[in-house]
Amino acid sequence: MNNPTDIKERIKKNLVWKSIFRRDYRNTVRDRAQAIFGNIFLHLHPVQVREGAVKLRFTWGMGGITFFAFIILVITGVVLMFYYHPSIEQAYSDIKDLEFQVPFGVILRNLHRWGAHFMVIVVMIHMFRVFMTGSYKAPRQFNWGIGVILLVLTFLLSFTGYLTPWDQLGFWAITVGTNMGAATPLLGYQGPFSEFLHITPFNDVRFALLGGSRVAGNALLRAYIWHCVAIPLVSVILMFVHFWRVRKDGGISKPQK
Amino acid sequence: MNPFIEIITQPDNIAIVIMIMLVTFFTLWAFQQALDNDKLIAAGKPVDGENEGLVDTFKPLVRIELIIALAVMVFLTFWSIVVDAPLEEIANPTLTPNPAKAPWYFLGLQELLVYFDPWLAGVVLPTLIIVGLIAIPYIDINPRGNGYYSFEERKFAIVTFSFGFFILWLLLIVIGVFFRGPGWLWYWPWQEWDHARVVFEPTRDLSNVIGIDSRSLPGFIIGAILVNGYLVAGMVAPYKYLKKKMPDFLKQFGMIRYLVTTFLFITMMSIPIKMVLRLVFLIKYIWITPWFNV
Amino acid sequence: MATDNQNKSSYRVYLFVFFSVLLLLMTLWIVWDDEFGLRPWKKYQKEFKSLKHEQLQKEYDKAQSDFRKSGDAQTLARLEAQLKKAKDLFNSSEVQQKYKKLSGQWADVHESAARNQKELQTNRGQYLETEYYFTKTQKPEYKKKMDELQKRIDAITAKGAAMQKQEEALKAALVPFTSGIADIEAEIEKMKSPLEEKKERIGTSDKVPVEIKQVYIRDIDLADRCQSCHIGIDGSKQISTKQPFTRHPASFVFLKNHDPEKFGCTFCHRGQGRATTSVQKAHGNVKHWEEPMLEGDMTQTSCLKCHGDVKHLRGAEYIAQSTELIKKYGCYSCHKIPGYDSIGDVGPVLTEVGTKVNYSWAINWLLDPKNYFATARMPKFFFTQDEAESIADYLFSMSGTTRHDVDYSTETPDEKLVEQGKTLWSQARCNLCHITNGKGGNNVKVYAPDLSKVGSKVNKEWLFRWIKNPNAYFPGTKMPRFRFTDEEIKALVEYIVSEYTDDEASPKYTTPVEIKSESIKKGKDLIVKYGCYGCHKLQGMESMGQIAPSLVSQGVTFLKADEMREKIGTELSSIGSKPVDMLDFGKLKKSISNDRLSYIKQKLRDPRGYRLGLRMPNFRLTESEINGLAAVLYGYTDNNVPSRFMVPSRQELDKMAGVQSYKFTGDFAKIIEDVKCTNCHSIKGIGADYAPDLSLAGSKLQESWIRKFLANPDVIRPLLQQMPKLGLTGGAAPAKITMPKFNLGIQKVEDTNRSDVDVIINYFQQELVTTDIPKEIPVITTLTPEDQIAKGKELYDQKGCRSCHQVGTDGGALGPNLSNVGNRLNPGFIFRHLENARKFKPDIVEPNYGFSERERIYLTNYLMTLKLNAK
Repeated sequence: MNNPTDIKERIKKNLVWKSIFRRDYRNTVRDRAQAIFGNIFLHLHPVQVREGAVKLRFTWGMGGITFFAFIILVITGVVLMFYYHPSIEQAYSDIKDLEFQVPFGVILRNLHRWGAHFMVIVVMIHMFRVFMTGSYKAPRQFNWGIGVILLVLTFLLSFTGYLTPWDQLGFWAITVGTNMGAATPLLGYQGPFSEFLHITPFNDVRFALLGGSRVAGNALLRAYIWHCVAIPLVSVILMFVHFWRVRKDGGISKPQK
Repeated sequence: MNPFIEIITQPDNIAIVIMIMLVTFFTLWAFQQALDNDKLIAAGKPVDGENEGLVDTFKPLVRIELIIALAVMVFLTFWSIVVDAPLEEIANPTLTPNPAKAPWYFLGLQELLVYFDPWLAGVVLPTLIIVGLIAIPYIDINPRGNGYYSFEERKFAIVTFSFGFFILWLLLIVIGVFFRGPGWLWYWPWQEWDHARVVFEPTRDLSNVIGIDSRSLPGFIIGAILVNGYLVAGMVAPYKYLKKKMPDFLKQFGMIRYLVTTFLFITMMSIPIKMVLRLVFLIKYIWITPWFNV
Repeated sequence: MATDNQNKSSYRVYLFVFFSVLLLLMTLWIVWDDEFGLRPWKKYQKEFKSLKHEQLQKEYDKAQSDFRKSGDAQTLARLEAQLKKAKDLFNSSEVQQKYKKLSGQWADVHESAARNQKELQTNRGQYLETEYYFTKTQKPEYKKKMDELQKRIDAITAKGAAMQKQEEALKAALVPFTSGIADIEAEIEKMKSPLEEKKERIGTSDKVPVEIKQVYIRDIDLADRCQSCHIGIDGSKQISTKQPFTRHPASFVFLKNHDPEKFGCTFCHRGQGRATTSVQKAHGNVKHWEEPMLEGDMTQTSCLKCHGDVKHLRGAEYIAQSTELIKKYGCYSCHKIPGYDSIGDVGPVLTEVGTKVNYSWAINWLLDPKNYFATARMPKFFFTQDEAESIADYLFSMSGTTRHDVDYSTETPDEKLVEQGKTLWSQARCNLCHITNGKGGNNVKVYAPDLSKVGSKVNKEWLFRWIKNPNAYFPGTKMPRFRFTDEEIKALVEYIVSEYTDDEASPKYTTPVEIKSESIKKGKDLIVKYGCYGCHKLQGMESMGQIAPSLVSQGVTFLKADEMREKIGTELSSIGSKPVDMLDFGKLKKSISNDRLSYIKQKLRDPRGYRLGLRMPNFRLTESEINGLAAVLYGYTDNNVPSRFMVPSRQELDKMAGVQSYKFTGDFAKIIEDVKCTNCHSIKGIGADYAPDLSLAGSKLQESWIRKFLANPDVIRPLLQQMPKLGLTGGAAPAKITMPKFNLGIQKVEDTNRSDVDVIINYFQQELVTTDIPKEIPVITTLTPEDQIAKGKELYDQKGCRSCHQVGTDGGALGPNLSNVGNRLNPGFIFRHLENARKFKPDIVEPNYGFSERERIYLTNYLMTLKLNAK
């Protein structure tokens, strides 16, 4: 009984333990495989992978790190949402209070901010790696395309989040960014040929982005919804497709024999 | 304080410093592996990983994933404890900061605004960049270099991509962050920002150089010829060249693929051309039309 | 293969452990940061609590030792002994037996009384029921039963009353047993309770939780957490003089009128009220927070946020005094400042300046006004010689065609005239406003030029014109029109020019030189550029062309109205909240602190220092003037303060209530405009507080005395009225205040036959009166007038009036001389004044003695006998 192995055995025979892990792990081929496909998270992986997939020097782990950064951002982001009102009267004070009032508010916001920067950096390096190993080539052409869209979504996630603190930095970054929308050919009121469609500042692309003709309360609400709901949703769906296709296209691309 | 250190230690810019370090590191690593593999190929030996077997996912892969996750978490936590996220003054629509900079990852596009009108720099070019990136797998029909680092086997692809990635994307970001001051003027890191500085703005257009008003009909015609000529020549000249030197490749490549590739390529090359015209010859527009300017 | 894997996996385990430990450390770091690193207020609150504990403990200890010392301890011990004795006695078996017996009896009676009561209720219920049936059926049996029940009820009630009596008697018999004990216990409790209370307070203060203290005001989105560190700011007692534990200074003014729960802290002090993580952040001394905390007098800048008028506001003395600087230097002439709109009234009218001054003087003045006299108010514009000449040329060209000087230094003055002029000069008390050779200028409310060198500035003809009728040359000037005769003016001019001429001045243009038209053009451009018309009236100049047609024909036109912009300087109405990014620090960006206040101060110190091409002149302000002005400007913000905070000024209130501000009417208004009474006197809120307030002069003063006084003003108060009550006079002996002799009564008011003295008296008696002051005082018939006067004198001596007031040669010099008060004041005024001096003059020093009505009558009667009939 005092023997640690005994205790271990007892725990493993416990009803609760068994209900969770089903069976004992004995480091056999079968069990190692079971560990992968018996687990909802791990079964994205195949049971066996090429040796190179385990080595850091080939993939640099960048795709995985990107996904991990995304998870950190989702978790911190959800907690941040508890403390935040997307209105121009409250947004700025809410962010101030994160620092001054909310328990662990400082680290929460810092993690979210730097995690976002980090994700952008990592996703760019990931793309660079995939290009350098030629991993976009057949049969993975489609998945590269998904990846490019995910890259764009990452930028947009970060960009929409910029406005939420409602400070000078975010406000003017968004103003500069959305002013580009006004220059869209045909659909932006400053863009070429827009006069043929009777485009004004009140019905162009920028108006649609901001919910108004200038950055104000509606723009903040829109940025918030895009940032917290719409883009993450699309991103998650595309990420599933991305991972699914990695698996279905034969795992990590490796030189063919 | 030294203005350079001041810029570099701004909380948001620390991310860019980290990016520069990471990108440099991984670029060197990638090219080193590519050159190693090139040597192996030249010697007729199998490339790295060609003969490798399979391993169980559990635990080697799972374990390494866990370790990386831990390392990333440690890194991010440390970063978050040491550096506080910036929060500037409350938004004030009446007070435009000078310079008003976009988030750093969009500074490349903002830099393009110096050389192109917003509809090009802000809408058309970004769209083409996305389309172009997605199109890469479909226009790169080179079957070699799939699944391993190599340079010799896909010189053209890597050089073109690297040009776009390092020069037109990352370098422009670095310029935008560290070298652009009030009025989007160029400042060396050791220079003080001077809000009252005024710099000669080139307003002349290409045809003005040879004495023709760019807004007149002859100017319009000259511009149209130049711009469209560039497009046509950019598409026709390589065709002639390839037809002569590599007819088999061209045939295999196909007409549609050829057109898409050259269009994207010459569009990309128009960026450095326009930059040179602007920075060296102080020329603003090449072609002025009543609807848009190029 | 297997071993290889094994090795690899083992080093990976190390990596795993390594990163796990690191992550754990990071987590601990985060927790430490959140618990301590980012919560400095916890430390402060704990320290404060221990300080408070110490103080309360000390108080408790002291109270305890006092208790012991004062002999209360013995009393207590004695009482306790008594208590014990009383209790012992009570507990002794004999007493207990009696007590128990009695209380047993009482219990029995009490019980049966209760039973009786219950029975009574039952019967009453039955009675009511029966009554109900009877009214319903009218059957006689019910009636019978009712009677029966009524009888029974009566019996029970009688029994109950008897029982109650018995019960009370028993209870009263019980009381003496315990009353002694209860009394002693109450006594002990009374002695102990102050100590107990003190002890309890220690307990309650120890139990106060350590937490963020916050004031939140919704409509201005103010969340101040300042009191998380400044925990003792609102306390009833000073716990420590150390920051952040002190109490708010003068909290009986500031916090009493501005409850921190309703105003917060940052409403007045600025700073970042939400911040709790560091002192720098909370005090707003960090980047991206543009409202650093205000301390000390500087905080008064916030008074301007809500208070429309800070002039007599307690606690706002510094800002009130600084606001005067805005008026003194006429900042509003060039800048738009809320509450100041007028333009062109700081400096004199320049339209005919060419007929007034010497050209050489004008150049000297333009180059640097302080060259001429040190207290010159006009700022230095840093003109070059050339520019100064151009401006002078333009100004002179408005009334002539030449540069010209006069030089009186070589003339020999007419001694007789000079002597006569000197007498007039002193009679007219010119030195009251004007300084000459370092003397005079006591009335600081009026800015009058230093006349020490005026003979080298102006010419005699102009001086004559000026003294004869100042309003004619400069409408709205502060200079009064003295009623001199032409001969007198001539003498005065002769005296001034001979006495106050600068021998070192060297007039260059004693032979006039023609002015060049290019120079005029240039001068005009300079005037437009620097906005001289902001302070000096230069309007209507187009018509001036007629005076000098030759110049107009040469292509020079004078200033047109549209060339004069409304205000030349930056608008200052929200300078105190202007974003720092909008302030151009120019070449001083690196050398001075980049905040709003430093910017304002540096701008005032060196207005053209930020970059080339700035136009603001240098006023050569002292450092304390700079601080004062900066404090005022800093208070002009565009913060939207909810109306419930606003305290409108009197004028604003009057405007809201539709009350017209007071206006002088009729001939009296003309006299005011002419003699400028309000330069010194205040009448119905208009004018300066240099001389006595005349708002109630009609009720206060006797007509005959007014007549005499106006004809020949004499000293009333020997001391400066404005002498600070506790301040020092700076060594200079206080000058005597005497009203200038205006020679009123000699002339008739225009278009009427009345003399101006009659007009004044009439106005005083019609307008400047109050029904509050009776014409006559109550009469006492029980005493003879002589006795009353004697009693009054007795009171005068008894209450020590002579320590401040002088009668004859006897008495102090703080209050007015009363030697002639019987001729001067109306008895009704004295009577009311003695009742409550502050009623008519809120800031008077005279104490309130609380005289009875009779005493006041006696005193008044006595004072009315004080007359100098010889005069």
